[in-house]
Amino acid sequence: MTSALAARDVIKSYDSVKALDSVSLSVNIGEIFGLVGPNGAGKTTLVRALTGTTSVEGAISVFDSPPDEIDSERIGVLPQSFRPPSRLTPTELINYYGGLYEQSRQPASLLAEVGLDTEAADQQYETLSGGQKRRVCVAIALVNDPEILFLDEPTTGIDPAGRRSLWSLFEELATSGTTLFLTSHSMDEVERLADRVGFLSEGKLVTVGPPSSLIDTHGGDSRLIIDTSETPERCGLTEVDYRVKPQSNQLIIEGVSPQDISDIIMTLNSAGASFESLVWKQPSLEDAYLALTGKRFEGVSDQHDQESVNQ
Amino acid sequence: MSTLTRTQAEFIAAWHAFLRRRTAVFFTFFFPAIIVIIFGALIQTQPTGGGLFTEPSGYYIAGYLAVVILFTPLSRVGSTVARHREGSRFEKLATTPLRRMEWLLAQSLVNVLIIGIASVLLLALSIVITDTTLPAISLLLFVPPFVVSGVILFCGVGSIIGRIADSQDGVIAASNALALPLLFLSETFIPPALLPRWFRPLLELSPLTYVVRGIRAVTYTDASTGVIPNLAIVMTLAGGGLLLGALAVPQAE
Repeated sequence: MTSALAARDVIKSYDSVKALDSVSLSVNIGEIFGLVGPNGAGKTTLVRALTGTTSVEGAISVFDSPPDEIDSERIGVLPQSFRPPSRLTPTELINYYGGLYEQSRQPASLLAEVGLDTEAADQQYETLSGGQKRRVCVAIALVNDPEILFLDEPTTGIDPAGRRSLWSLFEELATSGTTLFLTSHSMDEVERLADRVGFLSEGKLVTVGPPSSLIDTHGGDSRLIIDTSETPERCGLTEVDYRVKPQSNQLIIEGVSPQDISDIIMTLNSAGASFESLVWKQPSLEDAYLALTGKRFEGVSDQHDQESVNQ
Repeated sequence: MSTLTRTQAEFIAAWHAFLRRRTAVFFTFFFPAIIVIIFGALIQTQPTGGGLFTEPSGYYIAGYLAVVILFTPLSRVGSTVARHREGSRFEKLATTPLRRMEWLLAQSLVNVLIIGIASVLLLALSIVITDTTLPAISLLLFVPPFVVSGVILFCGVGSIIGRIADSQDGVIAASNALALPLLFLSETFIPPALLPRWFRPLLELSPLTYVVRGIRAVTYTDASTGVIPNLAIVMTLAGGGLLLGALAVPQAE
């Protein structure tokens, strides 16, 4: 596969703080690359470096050109805190940004594609809801039908249904050959969308790989979390063949498959142990991030609970 | 895609954005009008004694126009730059084919249009209120180039202020701090003869001086300087202002 962008040993420092510390990565044409990390990890700085809007040490190429020399007709960018002129309507905004390119998409079809209804298309941007505003911003990034799209937290502030419709759009874009580089606070987002994920922590790219591979390698075992103040002995769990870790008002049993849950409930009931709830969790990308960085990821995350039993 | 079409797209967006800021539209026209009313009608010019101003009313027409030529571009472009920075718009624009010069040119043209309209209204108001007669042909021929060049010059300065100031509040404070001394020390309302002799050479340092002298040469029959030399200076300064202003437009961070 041919590389759409490549970065080697990219360093960016602000005084004594290293925002990017020898970051190297490559993204293939048509690939969705997800970059995750908490606030301050360096995600936005890396996007700026890749799009040529900040100067860095190291080597970066986008379609074999330095980012500040690339034909801007070929790239689309959605900066993280982007707010377009607030008194214009979405239709006017698409016409405005489209007017800066050789060829551009028609407002009506583009706004429909990002899920903005026709009524909202003719209201001033400042009167739209947070989710509608972000959809307009995504549409602006798509206005020139770019070959590579940089999206810095594209679904922030969008409701779950809206997020899913944008995810479908991003998947369709990738299927049609557009390369996507997206940063996210949402592990679910990158797990669902990205072909490969990069974990960024304190300016360092800790690892890169397909989400499933990262989870398999670093996510650990599935586990059952029992909310109870009882001890493992009182619950009769010392007899079963699992690893049981007591925590504050919780017992965490590792390596539990869904088929084992009913047996454990029966064991608890037989022992007469009281518990408030049971939650079974598959290992997630978040677990892999924690294992690799030693830091709990505090971004947006849907529950990965596969089964929850309340007593 | 040519410079023309990109500048046109930016111009249309900036024009619509301005028209929908009703408060800004109102005060853009109200501020110079109130200056004319206060200076021209309330204080009045009575060279024989009694009024604050020592010159005939026609002398101050250039000063009235200087108010809009100076204040509006400084504050509008400066605050537009600050607003763009706060909304990461320059970061976005830096990844489009739009060049910094085209952005500033479009903003300048919006200001030229706004201030052109304001100037016409201001001249009409001045004539009505101060009972001044103006040579129509000269007005048509020579006032517009001064207005256009002056506006472009101060749009460039506004861009520099927007780059230096880190917020819209900072832009307003900085543009007022620059504009107020310039307004009163550029042969607008205070004739050089009323200033200390040692200070008079400093008037030559103000770019607004040449705008005022040029417009006065057109609108006031007893003007002491010519049109063409001042126009050449103002146009040169406008070119420099546009260039430096474009360089000051932030690319990203």
